[in-house]
Amino acid sequence: MNRPSNILWAGVGTLFVLFLLSPLVLVVLFAFTSRPQSAFPIEALSLRWWQAMLANPNFLPALKNSLLISGTVGIVSAIVGTMAALSLTQLDPWRARLATALLCLPLMLPPLVLGVALLIFYSRARIPMGPQTVVMSHLLFALPFVVLVLYARLRNFDFRVVESARDLGASPLRAFFTVTLPIISPTVIGAALIATALSLDDFVITFFTIGKGMTLPTFVFAMIRTTVTPAANAVGTLILLMTIGATLTALWLTRYRG
Amino acid sequence: MRDRGATYLLLAPAALIFGTLFVLPLIYFLVISFWRVRLFKLSPDFTFVNYLQVFDLHLPTLIFTLSLAFLIAVLTTALGFTYAYLIRFKAGRWGPTLLFIALITLFGGYLMKIYSWMTILGITGVLNTALRALGIIEEPLPWLFYNVGAVVVTLVNFLLPLAVLPIYASMRGITDIEMEAARDLGAGAWRRFSDVVVPRSHPGIMAGFALCFLLAAGDYLTPQLVGGKVNMIGVQIAPQFGGLGNWPMGAAMSFVTLGSSLAVIIFALYLLSQWRPR
Repeated sequence: MNRPSNILWAGVGTLFVLFLLSPLVLVVLFAFTSRPQSAFPIEALSLRWWQAMLANPNFLPALKNSLLISGTVGIVSAIVGTMAALSLTQLDPWRARLATALLCLPLMLPPLVLGVALLIFYSRARIPMGPQTVVMSHLLFALPFVVLVLYARLRNFDFRVVESARDLGASPLRAFFTVTLPIISPTVIGAALIATALSLDDFVITFFTIGKGMTLPTFVFAMIRTTVTPAANAVGTLILLMTIGATLTALWLTRYRG
Repeated sequence: MRDRGATYLLLAPAALIFGTLFVLPLIYFLVISFWRVRLFKLSPDFTFVNYLQVFDLHLPTLIFTLSLAFLIAVLTTALGFTYAYLIRFKAGRWGPTLLFIALITLFGGYLMKIYSWMTILGITGVLNTALRALGIIEEPLPWLFYNVGAVVVTLVNFLLPLAVLPIYASMRGITDIEMEAARDLGAGAWRRFSDVVVPRSHPGIMAGFALCFLLAAGDYLTPQLVGGKVNMIGVQIAPQFGGLGNWPMGAAMSFVTLGSSLAVIIFALYLLSQWRPR
């Protein structure tokens, strides 16, 4: 490898990193500055936008909804996803691939189309809209991730330990809870956190299926639709902290290395 | 010990969610696209009027949307390919860090990225105020914001991790042994790239392109928030489901957008499949 090409690639890499990270870094930065616009030069650091966020009467209900919805999505998709992934390992590879591809279909649909199709479905089926319908909708895009992560883990799983437990007289359920689950639990928790982060972050599908309430992203939308206020940066930073925190923990737990 | 019944029972909850919350609503959505609205009420019918109206009223918007989404998807895939190539072949010990950044930005939030680009590109935004503070410009540059360029930048930024990850996943499968074998057989840098790296990355490139195209073509917030008057089909679809909306019309618009997007994707994938080793 010659030197000029190395320098070129280092430059390209730096530009990419700047392009990817700067929108997120700026949101965090301007959550802590004092001026009424998100702009340079920065005059002073301040927590006024965090105070503004807390003073907003819609903030706490939105936070509560967000935590409730994303927590439920994490738990339900972890349980359903683990069951599905276990089942996939026992199918022949062709069927397993077909089932995974089908489960991933909701990810290929623009969220707008999925959101409005669900809105019509709920309203025609007279299912009252609220946090419950948002949870149901989020399962559609959270579940594929959980299944993919767990299926990848279970394919490297040594099922002989489970068979030993079965030979020693454990029921399938007991073998699962005393052998399989303790071994794969970091991956299950990691996958649940990824599902939580995806749910926490979703705006479009939530917007169409929540009915009257708010979550943090729809709260931000209500703020920025009218005027640009740096208080939105504070809420955005809060969402980022939660989703990235969950993702980092998940990556660490699942030992994901690309 | 492989119990067929138990295997399918374990899959049942996921299948139930997929069936009742994805397949059923989509079929119903399709059925409704053939219905009509009479006296403000939805009434069952079997008519193609909605589809004809989509072409009558929204054809220019549709063509513009597909072209813009194509441009965005090509740009994003090319950039994503470059970034994945950098991670796999050029970055050395920095590779994992670069991959990690792509993963983190994947979870960085759709709405927050749009909002951030609003604050970056706006008249009193980050870029204008920074350039003025540095004395590079006197007056704010109005052409940074509320135009097609701003939509392209915002969407490419949002979609880039979605292109990087599948392409990198494909490239990871290319072993150093393969590359050395190609070199030993006399392939130069370009032939190793064109005959080994690109064909072996095809599945990732295709997945990344399809995903980026569909998400760009179906977007409705970015054109509204950073595009100003940029009119994409999603901007026309969303209000059909609000107070004064016409559901059958909105459903027909959605299916026309999906169908024409699939046609463009299949065409693009056909073009890509022509890139084979000589």
